[in-house]
Amino acid sequence: MTNIGLSMVTEQALAGDAQQADELVLRLQRAEPSAVAEVYDAHHAAVRAFAKRLLGDAASAEDLVHEVFVSLPRAIRKFRGDSALRTFLISIAVNHARHHVRAAQRRRRAISAYGDIESHDSSDPEREARRKELAELLTRALDTLPIDQRVAFVLCEVEERSSREASEIVGAPEATLRTRLFHAKKKLRLALGTEGLR
Amino acid sequence: MSDDLLAEATRALRETESISEFEARATRTRVLIGLQQARVRRRTRLAFLLPIAASFVAVSAWGAASGKARAALERIERFVGVTAAAPTSVKAPAKRVAARPPTPTPDPQPAPLAASRDSEPAPLAELAARGASPAAALPSASTAARRAEREDPTLALYRVAHSAHFVERDPARALAAWDAYLGAAPNGQFAPEARYNRALSLVRLGRTTEARSALEPFARGAYGGYRKAEANALLERLERLEP
Repeated sequence: MTNIGLSMVTEQALAGDAQQADELVLRLQRAEPSAVAEVYDAHHAAVRAFAKRLLGDAASAEDLVHEVFVSLPRAIRKFRGDSALRTFLISIAVNHARHHVRAAQRRRRAISAYGDIESHDSSDPEREARRKELAELLTRALDTLPIDQRVAFVLCEVEERSSREASEIVGAPEATLRTRLFHAKKKLRLALGTEGLR
Repeated sequence: MSDDLLAEATRALRETESISEFEARATRTRVLIGLQQARVRRRTRLAFLLPIAASFVAVSAWGAASGKARAALERIERFVGVTAAAPTSVKAPAKRVAARPPTPTPDPQPAPLAASRDSEPAPLAELAARGASPAAALPSASTAARRAEREDPTLALYRVAHSAHFVERDPARALAAWDAYLGAAPNGQFAPEARYNRALSLVRLGRTTEARSALEPFARGAYGGYRKAEANALLERLERLEP
């Protein structure tokens, strides 16, 4: 197949995808359960991973995921197709995260008060324990940050998104996002140093 | 030192294991159930609100068309004291009559001809049809009538003529008053009634030639069915009396 033929096929495929995406958005606007289920199956892992990293608590993350997809038919009215649907879902999660962050903090405090230690299976238990400990330490440090700085840190550092994508998600200019990130890292370094892990 | 630690902790958080497939499925089910419940709630709301809204629209339209909405509004105004000095004895339907000058007395009889018994004049007939009492139509009793007269001054002329014709029963005065009204409003709201009553006044005054020419358009049906039968009967009587 020549280059021209290949590009025509690619364009047709892209046009077909765009049409399908438009139809999916229309179905979402009509709150069709099958459309929400389709979007859930395609994107739940990304939304869940972000929620888990942001909140540091599995149960709260599940609640946030639930809220994101239940509110999707209403929220999709604001979707203009400027960004990917996945990015849009993450932005919904950011908007709904505030009270889930508080819930996760409360749960973490309760768990640490009762000294609850989850069991885990791993091929290298020592390394896994260290990794888990560090993750928990960072999550506790994240609890000390304002929500905007916390979101900026998780998006840019933990999820390694570009500042442009992260700014699309939070709906703030890139410069603002970078400033939030700067302050977040500064506070986190301080918090981790104070903890004196090593 | 803390830079390395931050980087390591960030990596550790990034590598945090995802939720199990079971939890993901459970959340998916929760989402779908939540959507279903929202849909049911929306439908239930619609099932209640739509009939209520439809009833409200229908009642409003009926009220506006029949004039009862206006009457009800005025009643409320009176109740809350917005309309000052509105007499409490005034019946609400009088509002509708406001456009038409009221008639305090029932059916008068033209003097010369027993057979040409004048039936109830049109405004009063309409009043009766609407269930309003004559008291409600008294000029002093209706602020709406006064308001209507302010809007259309010829109505005052009509009221004077009406009073001379049906209350005072003075055909000469009535004739002059009907002429005054028709001069001011030849195509007015009550021009047909005024012309017919003028013809009756002419009959009462014995001016039969003028009365005939005044009644002929009614007998011909120039005003549709309005007073057609009565005009024909009167013309017949006049013919018999003065061939």
